[in-house]
Amino acid sequence: MKRLLFVMVLALGLAAPTVGALAHHGWSWTTGGNIDLTGIIKTVSLGNPHGILKINVEGEEWTAEVGQPWRNERAGLKDGDLAEGVEIRVIGEPAADVSERRVKVERLFLGKREYILYPERD
Amino acid sequence: METLLAALEGTALAQALRGSRWGYAALNAAHIFAIALLIGSVVPLNLRLLGVWRGISREAVVRVLAPVAAGGLALALLTGPLLFSVRAREYSDVAFLQLKLIFIAVGILSTLALCWTHGFLLKDAPRARLVGHAIVSTVCWLGALVCGRLIAFAGD
Repeated sequence: MKRLLFVMVLALGLAAPTVGALAHHGWSWTTGGNIDLTGIIKTVSLGNPHGILKINVEGEEWTAEVGQPWRNERAGLKDGDLAEGVEIRVIGEPAADVSERRVKVERLFLGKREYILYPERD
Repeated sequence: METLLAALEGTALAQALRGSRWGYAALNAAHIFAIALLIGSVVPLNLRLLGVWRGISREAVVRVLAPVAAGGLALALLTGPLLFSVRAREYSDVAFLQLKLIFIAVGILSTLALCWTHGFLLKDAPRARLVGHAIVSTVCWLGALVCGRLIAFAGD
């Protein structure tokens, strides 16, 4: 019994360092300032609980968190707008650790058209 | 395995959940409700097995709390896989989810083994056996809760 307990506590300890990028809910993990990136969408993973784009920005891969389906839809995005190979400009807050190359998008541009995900943020 | 997980993500239900606002939120709430029932009954039940509230008969405590815990577990086992199906391939790689499933399996097996030998009401169970189970059970269910929450903070 004690051994089992020991193994379980150990397992929890071993799993803890595997935490990758902290992210997602809220804005506590971002810097508070905005960055502006333009690149080509490499992969698209939309839908609950988070929409994620991988974007090639001058050879660097950035992870851009866009909205849930309702937020993207409210901004005017249609199915298929965010697609592989499309050029996109995103403006939003990067993760406090910039080496993560992760940005939470507040607004984005496809061509000249602007799509605002978070109207209440600048 | 990869194809199986992809097929799960492709089911009509998973696709609907991935795209829906309130349906997905309701499913989340249902899962939290299930966990609240489960943990909320397992913790006092285990405390009784550890010797707290000796003035209340163990049988009475088990009669009330064990069915609530089982109901919560059943609802969690229904809602959890639905949440999983939304991003099956991504979640299956998360170490915290794998660990959570181990905690759940050990927690269930420990309970089944106890009831198998001593009956649902644990009438003739020796004290050391009850204490041992209560410790394992508490670690497992609290471990499952913590690991479950950490899924949202791991990976990308």
